Amino acid sequence: MSTATRTKGRVNIETNVRDIYESLSKGSNPLSTPFRTMKDVFVLAACIGFEKGIRRPLEGGKHQPFHYAQLSEPVDIPLLKAIAIATTDDITTLADLDEVVAIAEEFANEGINDIRQYVLEHPGEPLWNLVEAIR
Amino acid sequence: MKIERVQLTNFRQYFEIHRITFSLDPDCNVTVIHGVNGAGKTSFFTALNWCLYGESVDNIGQIISKEAVSRAKSGEIVETKVAITFYHDGERFTASRQLRGQKHTDGTIEEARGDTEFMLMRIPRGGVAESVKNPIGVMNTILPSNVRTYFLFDGEKIDNFARPEAAHEVRDAIYQVLSLEVLTRARDHLKNAARELRGQLKGVVSDELKVLIEQDTNLRADEDRLEKRIEQLKEEIVSAERHISEVNQQLRTFEEVQNLQRQHDLLTQQLKERQKERETLIEGIRDIASQSYISMSEKPITMALALLDEKRQRGEIPSNIREQFIKDLLERGICICGRRFDEHDNAHEHLENLMKTSVPTSLEDNVLSTAGYLRSLQERGNENRQRLNQRMKDKADLDRKIEGLAAQIDDLERQMEGSEHVEVSNLAKQRDEYRADIDGYQEEKIRAEMELEGIKQDIKDLEKKISQAEKTQYRERLLSKKLELAQDASDAINQVYEKFAEQKRKEVEEQTRLIFHELAWKADHFQDVRLTDDYQLEVIDRYGMPARPELSAGERQVLSLSFITAMAKVAQNEAPLIMDTPFGRLSSAHREAITNNLPALAPQLVLFVTDEELRDQSLDNLRPRIGAEYRLIFDHKTSCTEIKEVK
Repeated sequence: MSTATRTKGRVNIETNVRDIYESLSKGSNPLSTPFRTMKDVFVLAACIGFEKGIRRPLEGGKHQPFHYAQLSEPVDIPLLKAIAIATTDDITTLADLDEVVAIAEEFANEGINDIRQYVLEHPGEPLWNLVEAIR
Repeated sequence: MKIERVQLTNFRQYFEIHRITFSLDPDCNVTVIHGVNGAGKTSFFTALNWCLYGESVDNIGQIISKEAVSRAKSGEIVETKVAITFYHDGERFTASRQLRGQKHTDGTIEEARGDTEFMLMRIPRGGVAESVKNPIGVMNTILPSNVRTYFLFDGEKIDNFARPEAAHEVRDAIYQVLSLEVLTRARDHLKNAARELRGQLKGVVSDELKVLIEQDTNLRADEDRLEKRIEQLKEEIVSAERHISEVNQQLRTFEEVQNLQRQHDLLTQQLKERQKERETLIEGIRDIASQSYISMSEKPITMALALLDEKRQRGEIPSNIREQFIKDLLERGICICGRRFDEHDNAHEHLENLMKTSVPTSLEDNVLSTAGYLRSLQERGNENRQRLNQRMKDKADLDRKIEGLAAQIDDLERQMEGSEHVEVSNLAKQRDEYRADIDGYQEEKIRAEMELEGIKQDIKDLEKKISQAEKTQYRERLLSKKLELAQDASDAINQVYEKFAEQKRKEVEEQTRLIFHELAWKADHFQDVRLTDDYQLEVIDRYGMPARPELSAGERQVLSLSFITAMAKVAQNEAPLIMDTPFGRLSSAHREAITNNLPALAPQLVLFVTDEELRDQSLDNLRPRIGAEYRLIFDHKTSCTEIKEVK
């Protein structure tokens, strides 16, 4: 189990990637902020990190952008659980949501930089960059 | 505030004392004062304004009755007085103002204008009257001077709010009547206080902090400058759009290009609709893209399901024998076949082994539900990808349509610009200029907004640095604290203010819409009434087009009246609606609609009317709601007015 200090029921990210999360999800123009919530950014980042097979532990200051309650029961939580048991190869991980989230945090910590690169740093509107990357 | 009685003494043509009682009956809340032109309606109306607000009333002329002056001896003091008795918040008051003048030997009188006496008395029925201290201040809390024109208004000027350039007046009216001005003043005051404190702080702090404060001051000055510029640009955009709409209106009047302009209107409308569709479509694409992780999660889902299936194949999930059942058998020491066993038996050992491999019930449920969700997610991932592809295709189609419409509009505009009719050609070119202006303003506005956003972020960062900087000197600490408080309070008020202003704007808009639909006889033609973010009153016709430039004078009056009564409804302060010749410019259809609905829109309604503007069906409509009715009779022999009650 991850030893990272955890504010009860909240998801952690590194402080230095907070502005990436905000740039991607805070704003009224959908073209420049292609994600509805920081939670959506986090889950996609976790999927990308898993796909790459790189878990990068969180270092330095931490920020808690959202609560577990924002993770949806039928989609987000099963998905993060899938990542967790595919990583640990142990189904008992399913019973420990903190552990599931901690694993996702480390994958997301890697994946977020890829999102920044594909979506924010490519020329063009971030929404179309995201669509291009996922189609 | 509800007026019970008005007493005029030697006020203009009202020689000696005249009393008039207004209706307070909520079911018959209308008081009508009839009078032909010149009979004294406006003088009476002026008397109310003068009594409550004194010299601030415009162009008032000589107040003291000429008849009273003519009857006075040379050197004698002549006095005029207006007293209004009213109820407010359950209390009864009399406000009175009087003015004296001394008659000269040549028969003229010098009114001591700077010396009017205003008095406010609290006079409970049957109780002891007492004078109210600070009468002007108290009167201003009952019905503030700056909002009086919205409750006591002149029918001739009533269409003011519906003029295209009236955004400022509309905004001022909302701010004043709905008490937003108080918040504006508080916000500005605190902002100035923070600025002053920042200046003082610079003189007493360490060099490091001094530099930070200097940066902060400069950033805030830039912030102010940009906010003002953005406001100016918004106004410029509104103004240019208004000019375009006027040009379009003018072009419709030229026979040569009527058809072209009509096509232009139609295509412009279609273009707006397609652009709106595009916005909705993009929102939809964002929704799918935002959850793109569903279609990106094939690998973990496949791996997890493989692991779970393996467990199932090995018989561990769902386990044939539940954990609790095995526990029960071990506790009771009886096998399911009824045979007893103890700790050393094979049966006990077998059950112990089963316990070790069995999955806890809660985990088993978790596994089953997770597997179920993951299977459905596998399908959703493909669906999402297909939906996204379809929407991107729809967007490409829509983009093509928009391009086509823009090209057609451009073509029509070129044709108009190339017209042989010089005036048409000039107007079309002007329109093009205005559009170019709008593009320029928009660009500058976006740039300024981005710069402002950056500055706000820099201010935030600096605030943190400043608060972290060491505060050693007592005065420094104190000033810093005051500064922090002033800034926090200013920010808090700003937030409250913005939310409150927006809420009030929406309430006034909603009420104006409802009332306008009741009052306008062509209500079906007008689909909607809007009070835009920029405080423009706008009427939308059945084609979805702005119709304000086409409104008749009467319709503009109805729109203004709807706005004023909407504010009266939204305002917290109860106040009477007193209208001088309100229906003079209205057609009978509008008059009838208004007289049907107006009494319900104000707690007390006082109308000064001529017989021509209130007759036939309009008078019949009002009749059941009239609680008091008077006629002003001008005596040609004395040039004085008598007030007779109509029974």
